Amino acid sequence: MNITINNWKIQVNEVATVLDIAAQNNIDIPSLCAHPDLIPYGGCRLCIVEIEGRRGYPTACTTMVEEGMIVRTDTQILQEMRRDMIQLILSEHPAACLMCDDVDGCTVFQETIRKVGITTGCRWCPKDKDCELQRIVEQLGIKELTLPGLYRDIPLEKYDPFFDRDYNLCIYCGRCVRICDEYRKSSVLSLRQRGKLTTIGPAFEASHIDADCEFCGACVSVCPTGAMSEKSRKWWGVPEKYEPSVCPLCSLNCDLQVLTLKNKIVGTVPPGKPHESGGELCVKGRFCLSELVNRTDRILEPQYLYPEGYGIVSWDFAIEKAREIIQGIVPKRSAVYISPSLTLEEISSAGIFAGNILQTSELTSSYIDEKLAAYVNLAKESIALEEVKEAGIIVSIFLNGNYNFAPLTMAIKSAAASGTPYYQIGWINDTASRFARYKVVPFPGKEEKYLNQIISFLENGQSKIQEIRELASALKNTKRGVILVGPQIMSLSNCTGLLDKVHQIVKLTKSKLFMPDQFGNLNGLLSLLKMKPVEEVNRKIKEGKIDLLYLIGDAPVNGRPDVKHLIYQNAFPAPSELNPDVILPTSLWGETGGSYLNSNGTIKKVNPVAVSHGYARSHIEVFSGLAKALKTEDVGFSDEVLTNYISDQMKIKKHILNVIPPAKSKAFSTGSEFPYVLIQEKNPHVYSNLNLGQGIAAFGDLIKPGHVMLNPNDAKILEVKDGDPVKLRSPVKESKFHVVARKNIPRGYIYLITSNSKLEFESNPCYINIMKDHV
Amino acid sequence: MESSNVSFSEIFKMYPVEEGSLIPILQKAQATFGYISVESVEAIAGYLKLTENHVFGVASFYSQFRFTEPARHSVIVCLGTACHVSGGETLLETFQRDLNIKPGECTPDKKFDLNRVACLGCCALSPVVKIDDDIYAKVNIIKLKEMWGKYE
Repeated sequence: MNITINNWKIQVNEVATVLDIAAQNNIDIPSLCAHPDLIPYGGCRLCIVEIEGRRGYPTACTTMVEEGMIVRTDTQILQEMRRDMIQLILSEHPAACLMCDDVDGCTVFQETIRKVGITTGCRWCPKDKDCELQRIVEQLGIKELTLPGLYRDIPLEKYDPFFDRDYNLCIYCGRCVRICDEYRKSSVLSLRQRGKLTTIGPAFEASHIDADCEFCGACVSVCPTGAMSEKSRKWWGVPEKYEPSVCPLCSLNCDLQVLTLKNKIVGTVPPGKPHESGGELCVKGRFCLSELVNRTDRILEPQYLYPEGYGIVSWDFAIEKAREIIQGIVPKRSAVYISPSLTLEEISSAGIFAGNILQTSELTSSYIDEKLAAYVNLAKESIALEEVKEAGIIVSIFLNGNYNFAPLTMAIKSAAASGTPYYQIGWINDTASRFARYKVVPFPGKEEKYLNQIISFLENGQSKIQEIRELASALKNTKRGVILVGPQIMSLSNCTGLLDKVHQIVKLTKSKLFMPDQFGNLNGLLSLLKMKPVEEVNRKIKEGKIDLLYLIGDAPVNGRPDVKHLIYQNAFPAPSELNPDVILPTSLWGETGGSYLNSNGTIKKVNPVAVSHGYARSHIEVFSGLAKALKTEDVGFSDEVLTNYISDQMKIKKHILNVIPPAKSKAFSTGSEFPYVLIQEKNPHVYSNLNLGQGIAAFGDLIKPGHVMLNPNDAKILEVKDGDPVKLRSPVKESKFHVVARKNIPRGYIYLITSNSKLEFESNPCYINIMKDHV
Repeated sequence: MESSNVSFSEIFKMYPVEEGSLIPILQKAQATFGYISVESVEAIAGYLKLTENHVFGVASFYSQFRFTEPARHSVIVCLGTACHVSGGETLLETFQRDLNIKPGECTPDKKFDLNRVACLGCCALSPVVKIDDDIYAKVNIIKLKEMWGKYE
């Protein structure tokens, strides 16, 4: 196909819109509502063009190219009409940034001979200098406002976590509404009412949390104006650099871009051009990462525990003290905790340090228990995420995709939306629930029996229950069946039994398996080092066989174990009552380079993009400093040594963890005395020993660790409001909590994300009585 | 709650699960319950596998759907040209002051709701006020006070 745009002859080999072809050939057509990931909308009308032989002025974003088309994009009349449209937009859009007398001198520093500086570069809008409307006004050379202004006076919306909304700046391009619906398939935002009364938001003025928003930030990314802004970098201005990187907050290790300003990490967005990068990330990757690395409680200097308490010391002194401790330890009498959030290089250096300097094989992580072992042993059969997208049928088992695993939930939703049967087994509703053919709610405490019934149907083709017949035969008879298991299953009492059943179903139906986990590099940790379950190491500590506990980005959960010495190497403060002898501050993600092994088995590299905070050093630097002090210089930590270590270990198949048979879970007691079902989830969101739910207040607002969540209707019956104290009583235990009402909790259920990695009640699920606590 | 669920299942039986059913279901719901409640939106969204936000976005676009419970009696004041000239505006103001509500709102005791309309088509009788199905012609403020004594 040959077309002509502005007298340029252009060869077109695809079905595309005039706007796309113009953009590909560097012909700029102004537009405010078009977006590469979205269906053309034709809302802003700015991309109007003249096409010979066509009446009027069609919009370039909705017009497909045709053979012999002659297009003009910048005639005088078009520019004049565009200016008029912008004038209309500006009549409702505060425009101080565009019309200020000093706009030309705004960004440059103005030197004066007076003692006081003059005010320049004031910032009225969070998107100043990063605003598409501003750019178009500049392009069209608009210097004055021809229409009287109208301030809509819409109240600012700032009570939801992570981003603020000021719809007075909104130009109704609809990008946020469309990306939420078309791309994320969340459909949280909608255009409410019409005409000049139009507002954007969820149904009935509900808060975003109540409207099931996943806080993926897609709407914020694509907003062309300052109507939506991230709270954490609202007034930072335009980032200097967009550096490619990889997220360390779960096993999917999504690609992302780090925004930096003056060597500081200020934000993270999905890959793509600014304002065009969509919603591929979850809330953790989009908003939590930059808040994590910029936390004010990071350890900045080495500390030493004097008899009087902690004192800030120099690195030389701290290394010397650590050397004294290590030199006094007999080989094999030390144990090492290693965080599954570290990079492959850091894990290798920890492995070399433990093996050659501490000479111990007692390596563990506080998260590696018998359930995680059973989970990762099965997760080895996981397929690549891309295969989930091509599945013939999808069944998810106890997968809670809210605030988690965004690429996976998006794959489920778009597959289901295009007709792939999707079945969801679990109690709590998540963002994918409404796409399910049906949601299977196993009788709490009888989950294993439910899976057993599926197995017996697969084996002998008989079942009384209609839904089991449908689900099992669909799974058996459809090609490319995929079973997804969520790490939430690990919190359930009979997790190991359930995983066994899942394995049997997978074998019987020849389905594929996909099992993500919540750790950035658990795969890497288990591939590189021979880890032991934490119970095994703790038993040795109890037996008095361990003198030194060396904690690398990780810590035991129950305060200080009974060991003579404790060295704590981390970026975040030690939990209370741990009282390490020496504290060595380390750098975090983004400050040192490294790589992660994701659940697909691919190694993803991260480059350093910012400087370490305070006097923090990388883990590898700390280990080589110690090696030098201990005069064991033959043990090297150079890049070459680490790369070889990684490639040697990767050749060996992933180590199989020992599964310690779990203690028999207690019987469930049902009955009218305990009418509610409590589902607990061990707080899974951790990074380098920092609990995201507690460490990042806004994230805590979403997952509410330590609060009991229940259905708003149940809350009404119990006469409790958000934040009220309640008493939970099981046959064995009684405990007090505060309540939060959430719509995604089905009636009769209570959901509790624990504030640490322990469960609060004896079994999970657990039958329970809840009552208002009168103080 | 229970009874409304029953009627919803009856409404849903008539329409297939597809996006095109949304507006007919909304109309049926409004005809059955008098307005679109939070619970209706929830139930419709659940049936059509849409989000409540989407359902509300569509419903709020059309002025035929209302989201507040209708009062026992609806007061409509005509503000068409003829009524406006002969004092419709004053009547509306009187209603607003005496009932202490604005157009589109409903009194706290759910007795009256107040709305304005552009023309009722009986300009010869102006100014006109319509309460439920009764049309009151050539209304003045004194007549007004007599009128609403009839309604409970």
